[in-house]
Amino acid sequence: MKVSSFRYLVNQGFKGIWKNRMMTFASFCILLVSLLMVGTSVLVSMNLTRIIGGIEDKSEVIVIVKDGTSQADMQKLEQQLNEVGNINTVSLYSKDEAWKNMLDDMTDEEKEFFQYADDNPLPDTYKVTIKDIEKMAETTTQVETFDNVDSTKSPTAFADILISIRRIFTIVAFAIVLALVIVCLIIISNTTRASVFARRKEINIMKYVGATNSFIRIPFFIEGMIVGLLAAAGALLLTKFAYEGVYNIFNDDFKLWSILGVQNLYSFDSLLLPVAASYLIAGALIGAIGTSISTGKHLKV
Amino acid sequence: MVEFKDVSVTYSSGVDALNKVNLKINDGDFAFVVGPSGAGKSTLIKLVLKEIDATSGTVMVNGFNLKKLRRRKIPALRRTIGVVFQDFRLIPTMTVYENVAFVLRVIDAPAKYIRSRVPYVISLVGLSEKAKSYPTELSGGEQQRVALARALVNDPQLIIADEPTGNIDPALSYEIVELLKGINECGTTILMVTHEHDLVRYFGGRIININKGSIAFDEVIGGSNESK
Repeated sequence: MKVSSFRYLVNQGFKGIWKNRMMTFASFCILLVSLLMVGTSVLVSMNLTRIIGGIEDKSEVIVIVKDGTSQADMQKLEQQLNEVGNINTVSLYSKDEAWKNMLDDMTDEEKEFFQYADDNPLPDTYKVTIKDIEKMAETTTQVETFDNVDSTKSPTAFADILISIRRIFTIVAFAIVLALVIVCLIIISNTTRASVFARRKEINIMKYVGATNSFIRIPFFIEGMIVGLLAAAGALLLTKFAYEGVYNIFNDDFKLWSILGVQNLYSFDSLLLPVAASYLIAGALIGAIGTSISTGKHLKV
Repeated sequence: MVEFKDVSVTYSSGVDALNKVNLKINDGDFAFVVGPSGAGKSTLIKLVLKEIDATSGTVMVNGFNLKKLRRRKIPALRRTIGVVFQDFRLIPTMTVYENVAFVLRVIDAPAKYIRSRVPYVISLVGLSEKAKSYPTELSGGEQQRVALARALVNDPQLIIADEPTGNIDPALSYEIVELLKGINECGTTILMVTHEHDLVRYFGGRIININKGSIAFDEVIGGSNESK
């Protein structure tokens, strides 16, 4: 195809937007709402996963070391713990540190009673954070088999709740996004079909004068793509304003949430690039492909 | 050249539209195709344009064997044919110039050629002053002349005119056929489907009469205009 012909087809695509402005506007609105629905669902999903992830990161397993374990054996145990694949961090909470902290938390009367005790009854412990909370039980069982480990204490019940929440949430989020995508595709396909149907005579004439299918499709494709890009730009702006509003509300009370291990929401700036790219690519593709599919039905002349 | 050899068409509804039709229209011929409604005239045109396929038999058009022609090659066939419809089928959002130029754009003609060829063809049908008008601003006769210019612009081997005078004033009908005759004199084959017997009698020439899916009559007759 000659450059002049391609330029003509692109030009026709742009002209088509104005010539069919009512249908174009309808497609734009539907695409905008569709992108907003899917985009919002994905953003909510990402942030909830991050919040749950933050709580999970806070769950620690306490490894209690047997009384009388030598320094060398302690080091060996620490090394063994570090080598476990599902363990993220290992930190020693020595019996002396634990004893000191315990005394600090006591009332003066209690302190007086305990400060003359001959021996520190507390054990040395390791605080271990877990990478995959779902394998917590498996990991603690493994750790309990190590030499000089007296016992472990893990919040398995809490972990189970978190796992259940995450599973339910993942399934629900996936189902919502999938349903929205399907609904959006159906609506967009119908809108573009109506737009193409309105121009079926034009397509028909093109076929009679010997236009190839690609020649007929290109202007529609470009028209759909431009509408998709415009809808994506609109959706991006609306998402930015809405997201930043929610972010500010959450951020005001963040200190309260952080006590629970909840992480702060992603800032919009950190999401700008992927969100913009997703919107633009999805908008352009849905617009262009949706129009092309609808055009195809009228090409069999 | 158009050649039908034992061509039959049976639609999925069971209707036999054409029954073992044999027909040959040589390059440079001018033929009227006449016959009552439902006789098979439209089916004949649909076959030539490969809108439909023959149930049996062979159709050859401008060197293409339509039985063997692949779908993606249909545009190449149609570029050798100009079509004029009863309802003009102009694109309402394009000017006269754009409607005619459009055909050349479809065949990827150079921009320079389009700029010289289109005004020339528009002048041939006498519409130079209306080049910037839109179809809705033209009379029926003028619209049909635009359709004729569009059919003519890429210099096709064959022009099919499907009831081209059906939607215009009888007086203008003669003008349209005169134009087609002029095009034919330059070597283009013309196949004109019509209901208007007066017109056929006036111009004469080869008359193909189709009735109930068969060719009832295929002869050359003298026109009444020749005796004037």
